[in-house]
Amino acid sequence: MSTTETTASGVGPVEGAPVYTVDNPAPLIEAPRKRTKKSPKSTRGNFELAAWLFMRLSGIVLVVLVLGHLLIQLVLDGGVSKIGFAFVAGRWASPFWQVWDLLMLWLAMLHGANGLRTIINDYAERPNSRLWLKGLLYTATVFTILLGTLVIFTFDPNIR
Amino acid sequence: MATPVLDKADAAGQPEPGFADSPYITVTFRVRRFNPEVAAEATWEDFQLEIDPKERVLDGLHKIKWDVDGTLTFRRSCAHGICGSDAMRINGKNRLACKTLIKDINPEKPITIEPIKGLTVLKDLVVDMEPFFQAYRDVMPFLVVKETNEPTRERYQSPEDRERFDDTTKCILCAACTSSCPVFWNDGQYFGPAAIVNAHRFIFDSRDEAGEQRLEILNDRDGVWRCRTTFNCTDACPRGIEVTKAIQEVKRALITRRY
Amino acid sequence: MKIHKYDTVIVGAGGAGMRAAIEATKRSRTAVLTKLYPTRSHTGAAQGGMAAALANVEEDNWEWHTFDTVKGGDYLVDQDAAEILAKEAIDAVLDLEKMGLPFNRTPNGTIDQRRFGGHSRNHGEAPVRRSCYAADRTGHMILQTLYQNCVKEGVEFFNEFYVLDQLITEVDGVKRSAGVVAYELATGEIHVFQAKAVIYASGGTGKFFKVTSNAHTLTGDGQAAVYRRGLPLEDMEFFQFHPTGIWRMGILLTEGARGEGGILRNKDGERFMEKYAPVMKDLASRDVVSRSIYTEIREGRGCGPEGDHVYLDLTHLPPEQLDAKLPDITEFARTYLGIEPYTDPIPIQPTAHYAMGGIPTNVMGEVLADNTTVVPGLYAAGEVACVSVHGANRLGTNSLLDINVFGRRAGIAAAEYSAKADYVELPDAPESFVVEQIERLRTSTGNERVATIRRELQETMDANVMVFRTEQTIKTAVEKIAELKERYRNVAIQDKGKRFNTDLLEAIELGNLLDLAEVMAVSALARKESRGGHYREDYPNRDDVNFMRHTMAYREVGADGSETVRLDYKPVVQTRYQPMERKY
Repeated sequence: MSTTETTASGVGPVEGAPVYTVDNPAPLIEAPRKRTKKSPKSTRGNFELAAWLFMRLSGIVLVVLVLGHLLIQLVLDGGVSKIGFAFVAGRWASPFWQVWDLLMLWLAMLHGANGLRTIINDYAERPNSRLWLKGLLYTATVFTILLGTLVIFTFDPNIR
Repeated sequence: MATPVLDKADAAGQPEPGFADSPYITVTFRVRRFNPEVAAEATWEDFQLEIDPKERVLDGLHKIKWDVDGTLTFRRSCAHGICGSDAMRINGKNRLACKTLIKDINPEKPITIEPIKGLTVLKDLVVDMEPFFQAYRDVMPFLVVKETNEPTRERYQSPEDRERFDDTTKCILCAACTSSCPVFWNDGQYFGPAAIVNAHRFIFDSRDEAGEQRLEILNDRDGVWRCRTTFNCTDACPRGIEVTKAIQEVKRALITRRY
Repeated sequence: MKIHKYDTVIVGAGGAGMRAAIEATKRSRTAVLTKLYPTRSHTGAAQGGMAAALANVEEDNWEWHTFDTVKGGDYLVDQDAAEILAKEAIDAVLDLEKMGLPFNRTPNGTIDQRRFGGHSRNHGEAPVRRSCYAADRTGHMILQTLYQNCVKEGVEFFNEFYVLDQLITEVDGVKRSAGVVAYELATGEIHVFQAKAVIYASGGTGKFFKVTSNAHTLTGDGQAAVYRRGLPLEDMEFFQFHPTGIWRMGILLTEGARGEGGILRNKDGERFMEKYAPVMKDLASRDVVSRSIYTEIREGRGCGPEGDHVYLDLTHLPPEQLDAKLPDITEFARTYLGIEPYTDPIPIQPTAHYAMGGIPTNVMGEVLADNTTVVPGLYAAGEVACVSVHGANRLGTNSLLDINVFGRRAGIAAAEYSAKADYVELPDAPESFVVEQIERLRTSTGNERVATIRRELQETMDANVMVFRTEQTIKTAVEKIAELKERYRNVAIQDKGKRFNTDLLEAIELGNLLDLAEVMAVSALARKESRGGHYREDYPNRDDVNFMRHTMAYREVGADGSETVRLDYKPVVQTRYQPMERKY
């Protein structure tokens, strides 16, 4: 009543390749990081909860900060053409804009870093690649945050 | 509530809706085959079948196994969607083979059938379910109450309290949801939707006293916070459980109880 | 081959097996061997409810329940067992509630109850609300709740282990259970489990019928293993045909649908059950309703172009009620028939549902080697067993009760036995029978196919030993089964591998089905009367003079190796109820 056909991609016995039999089966392709009885012990603490909440809350704040920032920088008062050393120097003379930019820097960096962290958790399968990718990410994040903070607080308008 | 008997008599004379005479059609089943006793890689194999489009995909698999190729291996038991044995990936979506009718999945094109993803394939459509059940066991899926004396009465529970967790009691542990989750595909350490659904069933049961412990378990690095709300699980659930909503309710319970 | 040693081994992880496991694990070192993951068991397919005279919604007591059970079983019920069933039902329901089972509730918070076939107030006066339920998925909830509690108790499961042989050692002329032999599906390895006590809870055998509500995996493995070792099977001719299976597919539509007010109608729209059961109408016991449906069909009042089914009409019930009380079966109608039960009636036909017979046990779950002798260390509970609380016809909701009451009893009895008993020595080469059976199939060069023989078996059973039976049809079936058994020797399989060889196991399961079908047909042929689920058109009346007794079937092997079924009979235990004419 029906016919069978194997598609061309069917793997036949290739010369030189190991031949698998009932008593010599091929190794199984294990699923990534599978759960066992001895899975990593559970983590206590609210870090993931806090991280999850932080993503939502910082996102809302960033919408205001970033859009406000873009509006001021690019649209109001003659738009992008006004931006120069003097403009930045003038703004950072006020503590308000210093705090604005500092907040934006910290929130954006932590928000982005946490987002990348979840992406690494979701997609990197091998413990080694997870370790290296996260190491790189945390280093870059800390470096950028420290450098940016330093610049905001130690900015000297009379540098020239 | 009068019974419209005349309507029934009229209806009886007509051919049944959904059971009109239907000619058999030819469909192609494209099945993902893997047998470690033969080869190290999985391959696709095509089978042509004469089948009534109102039959289930499971009937098609049985036709292959019984009449064409006895080595085709899959799990099945009840054949009507309550035992949860035959979750598989049909045309790229997780479904139960016994709840999917041929006519509903475009029989014009070859129907692809693969094992569910994220679990080790053991042979053809059979996967290792142990990690899945391990996650289930890890959420304390049982009622925890203070020991009382011999049963003399049931505990009372209002119909509203009973309704609160009704949706998640429907779970049959078929793994369709968990194995449709992109997070689970790459990281089996994630508890997965099914385990969370079964924790939800007890967290929101007014009789239970260990909700806090279960919430703590799911507050884990690999707990509810890994859910990305892609809704794959809700789409996949053959019991129509609103899985993603259940996960969100657990998240909300965690936030409101912590802050 | 591996040898394991446990105090108690339980075969099967459905309702009865897991209920026994919860008790046995607390008291002894217990292993549960199951051919499916526990939550795949067919207990999960039970829908309507579990009877217990809680009297939460109207006056009721367990004595009425006992009477209904005895009457429902057409007086072939052992009345001492029925009394235990009805009495312990109340605690069984409360135990499940304590374990967490989410029953539907009444407005004041107690467990809700509904009507069910054959359950009546005051010895048949009117239907009574006795069935405790959780929507139309009571079995699902029971299975899940029991599994949850097994997880809680740390029950040790061996998943996908097929028990293929029962080990019996004769000590001082007494047959004793020594353990079981199992086949591990994942690896093809053979495991011998030496155990002080073995409990069979492996379920039914409905797969020898074509139209059945039973799962593909219900192939009577437990009954066959025990029968092959010379132990009897009781009342195998009694098989229940559930009135409302989905037309052609056999998928169960709960009796709860009629409990909620659903009505059976023939092609003229007539509520035909009024003719056959003036008091209980659509809620008469299942054998009566199934026969009535077939009578309608035979007399030309069936529905559809071929007039081969009738309708289950739910259209007069409010959609909210269907959604709340019968969500699963309405979904079945939509999924499998493309029918909207709010507006259209559902085509149904009787479907093979439940084996009343099985391994004979006493009320403690101990298996009997003959009419009175117990096999020390061997127990059975659930559908695989015959206590007999169901007699010639089981009442709806009494099976979920049976697994809980007698599963619990068997679990306790087995564990207590293994606490004081010693291991029985294993026979020499305990695995030899299974090894030989598997090797024969794996190396067979015959030309018969499993699927062909199974199909022919199912067709002959459907045609000849279903709701209506005669001398002629049963003889046809007996001859056909003998022919199929002969051909089965020549069966060959395609999968010669060791891992997940389901091809091999289907062949073994077919062998079990053939053995049990033969027992059923031979037992039915000898019972020249009509009683409960066994209806003989050539003997349409009940014959209490000659047949108020249980059939006991034994396997006899002749000197030339030929197998026959030898029948014997066992008296029925009667306590307070004298047989009366059965009217609904």
